[in-house]
Amino acid sequence: MTPDQRLAFAERPERRFALAMVAPGVLVLVVTTTFPLLYLIWQSLNNINLSMPGMDRFVGLENYARMWNDMRFWAAFGFTLIYTGATVTLQLVIGLAMALLILRIPRAQWAFRIAAILPIVLAPVVVGLIWRSLLLTPDFGIVDFASRSMGLGSHNWLGEPTLARISVIAIHTWQWTPFVFLYMLAALAALPAELYEAARIDRANAWRRFVHITLPLIRPTIVVVVILRMTVALSAFAAIYAATGGGPGTVTEIINLYAYRVSFAELSLGYGAASAVVLLALTMVVAGVLFRVRRAA
Amino acid sequence: MRPGAARAAMRGAALMVAAGLLLAVWVVPVALTLLTSFKNEKEVLAYPPSVVFEPTIKAYGAVLTGPTNIVPNLMSSLIVAIGTTLLTIVIAVPAAYAFARLRLPGKKPVGFYVLATQLVPPIGLIIPYFLILNRVGWMDSYRGLILIYLTFSLPFAIWLLVSYFEDIPREMEEAALLDRASRWQAFWHVVLPQARGAIAVTVTFVFLNAWNEFLFAVVLGGATVKPVTVAMYNYINTEQTQWAQLSAAALVAMLPVIVLGILAQKHIVSGLSAGAVKGVSRR
Amino acid sequence: MSKKGAVRLAGVGKSFGQTTVLRDVELEIRPGEFFSLLGPSGSGKTTTLRIIAGLEIATEGAVHLDGVDATLLPPGDRDCAMVFQSYALYPHMTVFDNIAFPLKMIRTPPAAIDAAVREAAARVRIDHLLARRPGQLSGGQQQRCALARAIVRKPALFLLDEPLSNLDAKLRVETRVELRRLQRALDVTTVYVTHDQEEAMSMSDRLAIFMDGRIVQIGTPEEVYQKPATVDVAAFLGNPPMNVLPARLAAGEVVIGEARVAAPHLAALGTRDVMLGIRPSEIEIGAGGVAATVTLCELLGDDVIIDLDVGGLLVRAKASGRTRVAEGERVHARFDPDRLHLFDRTSGARIAA
Repeated sequence: MTPDQRLAFAERPERRFALAMVAPGVLVLVVTTTFPLLYLIWQSLNNINLSMPGMDRFVGLENYARMWNDMRFWAAFGFTLIYTGATVTLQLVIGLAMALLILRIPRAQWAFRIAAILPIVLAPVVVGLIWRSLLLTPDFGIVDFASRSMGLGSHNWLGEPTLARISVIAIHTWQWTPFVFLYMLAALAALPAELYEAARIDRANAWRRFVHITLPLIRPTIVVVVILRMTVALSAFAAIYAATGGGPGTVTEIINLYAYRVSFAELSLGYGAASAVVLLALTMVVAGVLFRVRRAA
Repeated sequence: MRPGAARAAMRGAALMVAAGLLLAVWVVPVALTLLTSFKNEKEVLAYPPSVVFEPTIKAYGAVLTGPTNIVPNLMSSLIVAIGTTLLTIVIAVPAAYAFARLRLPGKKPVGFYVLATQLVPPIGLIIPYFLILNRVGWMDSYRGLILIYLTFSLPFAIWLLVSYFEDIPREMEEAALLDRASRWQAFWHVVLPQARGAIAVTVTFVFLNAWNEFLFAVVLGGATVKPVTVAMYNYINTEQTQWAQLSAAALVAMLPVIVLGILAQKHIVSGLSAGAVKGVSRR
Repeated sequence: MSKKGAVRLAGVGKSFGQTTVLRDVELEIRPGEFFSLLGPSGSGKTTTLRIIAGLEIATEGAVHLDGVDATLLPPGDRDCAMVFQSYALYPHMTVFDNIAFPLKMIRTPPAAIDAAVREAAARVRIDHLLARRPGQLSGGQQQRCALARAIVRKPALFLLDEPLSNLDAKLRVETRVELRRLQRALDVTTVYVTHDQEEAMSMSDRLAIFMDGRIVQIGTPEEVYQKPATVDVAAFLGNPPMNVLPARLAAGEVVIGEARVAAPHLAALGTRDVMLGIRPSEIEIGAGGVAATVTLCELLGDDVIIDLDVGGLLVRAKASGRTRVAEGERVHARFDPDRLHLFDRTSGARIAA
């Protein structure tokens, strides 16, 4: 027997056992995700309209062609990028700044740890509803009240196109920044203190210490956080659905909402499937790029 | 006082103020919900918003016993969340152990496949599920909803557990194997009892995610299966929003996950980043 | 009495992909023997033990246990018990359950388990701790719990992987004696992995010395100490280790730099370059011999270690603690000519006198 055959023989029971342990999970995933995704691609090549049952037919790439010329789709595509980019950047900057700040007041850390958990564990749909009603309603919402008190006047926070976009970005940022904060707090607390003492002896000021020591050390953490937050932002749905429903008009539609409305409000499932396929592709591309970046980091 | 000390004190005070403001940003919306839930519907619309008022539990009464109460919805959420959690754990624990420890042909690509399924956007699943479940008659059923919940809970749980299993010393199993335990016995008697904590954390997060889910529930649910996240809309209709009741319902619905979140406080960071940190194991 | 526990490794090698960690291991361990695998870390001794246990599969050669080809047998079918360096106690079980585990796996009736566990625990004097969990035991108690778990089912072969390395120095010496006594009482073949030469020398019947994935010498402690097979073994054993100096043999004399040591009995070896080995304890200070300068004195109580500069070479001598020399002092060092070890300059192999 060659060495390889030997190992293969000796390890056969282990491999069999491993296969038996993994098989149910992989099988369930194939059935529950891969198979439906293949069906989704098939759907995207068909005209399926629930308002016209019995009229389903294969149309090839027609849905994609229609999408190519659909300004509303491109607006949703564009806002998906803005929404993802803005929320991830804001979460990262604010979360990191908070962590750096809180690290300097150790006695108050417990309060922030508890406060940070609240938004994270809330259902996004509940967060959207609370913001929509208690915070952003003109005249009665606390944000509107604050705006008026500061002399900035009352606004239709979710009804005016630009403000509505800002609002849905703010809601997502509000809910998930605490996660980045906690993540960064853990990463920063694990950094070796001696480095900072050495830098202090070398008379590096706080900003230089941050740029030259902290930032390079937590770079891998930042990459991981960006990956996590991007995938969540790209699959966001419930908070926007609850706050604006995609409106006013279609202004706050990200692809998720667009696909949902096309499929379940306009009942055009084939066309909705095509836009979901595009989102799937976009997610995979973004994830692929980020994983490559991570491996390099 | 020396000028340096005065400056340090000023900076300390400024830090505290900044921190206090930040804390307010995250606490106020939740506190406001709590406050509103104890108001009557007239007090809710007072301007400027009232902080001092006569508290009433009328909203809670409506939410828990009124005609549009959410008790059946809480039950619905409970069934879906527990069903999902049980199935997920039973399937994910053995798989995660194999990924973490055992020699397995094609482990890397299969592990990567599991990781990739975690990235699938829900909207990509909901459209085919809608048609498939309609065809097999599983719309508005617990079976259907639990099945689609597995799509996010299973990859998540597997990857979370892998990172925990990797931390259990390998010699434990080797000792068991030398003592004539079978692979299964080593797993069952030696590894599993040591993974109890990890499984508890996993259960917490799977339950939490299932409890909070909205998109799948609103599309695939119905009159029978209507989790609380969907039932929030009982208090919002085109004419008016019943703010106090909405707030009370939100608090009641979110109480379990807030408690779970605080209990699992230490693990929240690792719990919500499963798979991203460790990646596929090398062996 | 026909004893069990014979081990024979024939041409055993182990590679992980392209890297070979072990090659050409030939080894025979007799039943009842206390056999040590000694070597620096990374020399292949632990891999050899794991191959005997079946935790690793040899990629070359064969493993025979009591005459049976066990090369590809799974660990559970080899009748071996092992004590790990980390002890690998099951933290969720009591001491009793830990010790009972191997018996439960072979479906021993409960009454027999109870008796066997108590007997094994008593042998290592932890019978009063059976209800505790490993986390509540001291390091020494954990170590003995691991021992009890290994001996409870009376295995044919007893494998120990650096079992004393996590104990403090004093306890280590005590446990050494106890372990040896236990092995004698049970009369069980024991394979003992250690990097500590003192442990290996004091406990073993025989030992194998590993270097760079090969066995370089097998023998009794006395044999390997008195007649190290290579210059590396010579430099590895002893505390402080043997001095190894480049030297030249010429006409019944050993020439070390400027110094000459008369060794008429080596005249037959002719004229050649060698490596000369001499143990620190075989060097005598002050009674004639080669000229040297004391560079450092390390008093260890009974003994003193004296670093000498002999014509630019560092030579360490070990003398009685009462020897009085000062750093910088010029002295004479006598090398006992009958205690010189000679090794080939290029291959490092021992040259028989």
